[in-house]
Amino acid sequence: MVDKLVRILYVEDEPDIQMVARLALEALGGYTVAICSSGDEALQLAPGFQPQLFLLDVMMPGMNGPSTLKILRALPQFARTPVIFMTAKVQPGEVAGYKELGVIDVIPKPFNPMKLASRVQEIWERYHD
Amino acid sequence: MTNPSMLQAKLERLCDVYAAQLPEKLKHIEQMWAQLPQDNWDAEGFQTLHRMVHSLTGSGKTFGFALLSDVARNLEEHLRQIVQTETVLSEDQRQHIQKLMSELRQVAIYREALFNNQADSIAIAPPNYDALSPRRIFLLEDDLEQAEELKVQLGYFGYEVTVFHTLTDFRVAMQQTVDVVILTDISFPDNSLGGVEVVKEIQAGRETPLPVIFISANDEFLIRLEAARAGGIAYLNKPLNISKLIDKLDALTSTLTTLPYRVMIIDDSVDISTYYSEVLEQAGMVSMVVHNPLNVIKTLLEFAPDLILIDLYMPKCSGMDLAKVIRQLDAFVSIPIVFLSAEIDLDKQLVAMSLGGDDFLAKPILPQHLISSVNSRIRRSLILRSLVLRDSLTGLFNHTAIKDELDREVIRSKRHGTSLAFAMIDIDHFKQINDTYGHPIGDRVIKSLARLLKQRLRASDLVGRYGGEEFAVILVNADRATALQVLDTIRKDFSQLRYLSDRKEFTVTFSCGIADISQFRDVTELIEASDKALYNAKHTGRNQVVLSDAPAVEAAGST
Repeated sequence: MVDKLVRILYVEDEPDIQMVARLALEALGGYTVAICSSGDEALQLAPGFQPQLFLLDVMMPGMNGPSTLKILRALPQFARTPVIFMTAKVQPGEVAGYKELGVIDVIPKPFNPMKLASRVQEIWERYHD
Repeated sequence: MTNPSMLQAKLERLCDVYAAQLPEKLKHIEQMWAQLPQDNWDAEGFQTLHRMVHSLTGSGKTFGFALLSDVARNLEEHLRQIVQTETVLSEDQRQHIQKLMSELRQVAIYREALFNNQADSIAIAPPNYDALSPRRIFLLEDDLEQAEELKVQLGYFGYEVTVFHTLTDFRVAMQQTVDVVILTDISFPDNSLGGVEVVKEIQAGRETPLPVIFISANDEFLIRLEAARAGGIAYLNKPLNISKLIDKLDALTSTLTTLPYRVMIIDDSVDISTYYSEVLEQAGMVSMVVHNPLNVIKTLLEFAPDLILIDLYMPKCSGMDLAKVIRQLDAFVSIPIVFLSAEIDLDKQLVAMSLGGDDFLAKPILPQHLISSVNSRIRRSLILRSLVLRDSLTGLFNHTAIKDELDREVIRSKRHGTSLAFAMIDIDHFKQINDTYGHPIGDRVIKSLARLLKQRLRASDLVGRYGGEEFAVILVNADRATALQVLDTIRKDFSQLRYLSDRKEFTVTFSCGIADISQFRDVTELIEASDKALYNAKHTGRNQVVLSDAPAVEAAGST
C-alpha cells in the first residue's frame, strides 16, 4: 500500500509560478503545500513541515536546485525523501544527469497548471511501485 | 473540494495578472540588455539577463503564452552559449540578440486560452502597453446597418467607436492614427480578404502591432490563419456575440491599478527604522515608522498597511507578542508580517513564525533584498486577498466583502459628514432567462451587468455581487437623488443591450432600490431600506429604480 501523498514542499523563486502552482496543487490535487522562495528558506521550513515530497526548481539565484538537494540529503530525516526537479531545460542528457543526482523525476517547465497535480501523483505512485 | 469553474476563474485571474505584468518584465529585460557595456565583458550583468529570460521561458506557457516561452527559450540558449565563452559580443551576436528581443515583444501579445471552451477565439491579448489610449475603437465594416448597431452597443460600455465603410477611408484615417483598437470585418465587396490585407499593411510599418479583432461570417481555417498572421488577437464569428467582444476589449484596455505599497515599520531603533523607511520609499513604497510598540494599534488602523515589518527584540514588548496581537484584529488576520532580527537560532525563528510571522529577514539586510522580499510578499498577499474578496464570475466584491466595505464607508461618511447612498439591484425574471437560455447565458447576463456597473460608476463607488442575480452598489458622496439619476441611466442602457442565444436575440432589465444615510444612519437599516425599495420596484412593475420611504418613526411624525 502506497502512503497517501499529502505534504509537498515546493521551492521556487518566481512569485508568479508559486501562486499558480499552489492553486494547482492545493485546489486541484488536494495536497497540503508549503512554498519556499529559496533553498535556504526550504532548509528552515522543512523540519517543521515534514514534507513527503520535495519539488525543486533547478535554476534559482543563490542556492540552486541541485545544491539544495545535496544539503537536504545530508540531513538524516530527508536522506530518503523523494525529490522532483522542475526545470525549463529538458535536453535528454540533462535529465539523465539530474536523475543521477538521485531525483525520482523531472517535470519540464513551463508546466500546464491543469495537469501538474496529476503528473505529480503519477510520479509518486510509480516511484512507490 | 473547489469546484472546477471556480478554480478555472481563479487560474484565469492569475493569468490576467501575469499578462498585466508582462510588458513591465519585457521592459526590464530590454533595459538590462541596453545597460550592458558594448566594449567589455560584464559577467554579472549577462547572468542577470540570462536569468530574466530564463524565467520567461519557464513561466510563459503556464500562463497561456506558449509562443513567448518558445522565443525566450531560443534567446536563453543563445545567451547561455555566450555566457560560456565570456567574450565581448561580436556585431553579429548583438544583432541576433536584438532580433530575438524584438520577437519577444511581438509574440507577447499571443495569449492562448488555457481552457478549450473558447473555440471561437484564436488568442486573447494581454492588457495594453501603457501607450495605448484605452477606449478608442476604429470599426471597419461595409454593412452600414451592422456597423451602426455595433457602434451603439459598444457605446453602452463606454467605448468610443469611429466607423469606416470602405478600405480606402480606413487607410487614410490610419495614416494619422497612432493608438487605437481595430475591429474589422474580413470580407469586402471589392476584396474578399480586404480586412486582413489592410491590417497587414498597417502592421508592417509598426514596431508594436496594434491590437486587431477580426469579425467574420466565414469560419474557414485558412482565413483564420491569415487573420492570425496579420496580427489578429481574436477572431469572432458573425452574428456577433457582444458579450464576448466586450470581454476581449476589456482585456485589452484594462490595466491593474497599482497604488504604491504601504509598509509599516515597527522598530525601537530610530536609525535602523529610518534607514529601512528610506530604502523602501526610494523603491516607490509608502512607509510609516512606529518606535513605540504600544502605539501600534492606533497607527495600524489609520495607516492600513499592506505589510508590517517588526523588529523581534524591543524593550517594551517583543515582536512576537506584537504579531500575536495584530493577528487578533479582524482586519489584519491575513496581513504579511515580517520579522527583522539578528536571530539565527532556527528554533526561535520557527516559534516566531508559528505566532503569526510570515517571514524572517536577518539583520543586517541588503537594501535590494529588503525591497524585493517586501515587494513579492505584498504582491502575493494582495492577489490572494483579491481571490478571497472577489466574486469569481464577475470580479466584483463578494457578499461579505461588500458588506465590510459598507461598514467602513458608513463610518467614514458619518465622521466626515458626507452623504452616501446604497443601492440594491436585481435582474428581472432571471430564473426565466436561465431556464430558457441555459446557465452559461445567464452567467453572461450577470457578467455584462457587472461590467456596465463598473464602467459607468465612478472609481470611488463600490460594486459587489450580493447574491445570485443581485448586486449591491455603494455610492460615496452621493445622496439618493443623485444615485437615482445615475442608476436610472444605467438601467435604461442595460435594457438596450442585446444578448444572443441560438441566434435569437433578447434583452434583459433590472429593478433597483436605493436608500441613503440621511434617512438611515445604521448599516443594517440602510440595507433593509434599500432592499424594501427594491421589493417595491419589483412589485410595481419591475424595470425601474425606486427610492426608499422615509423611516417609519419619521413618517409618523415623532421626530
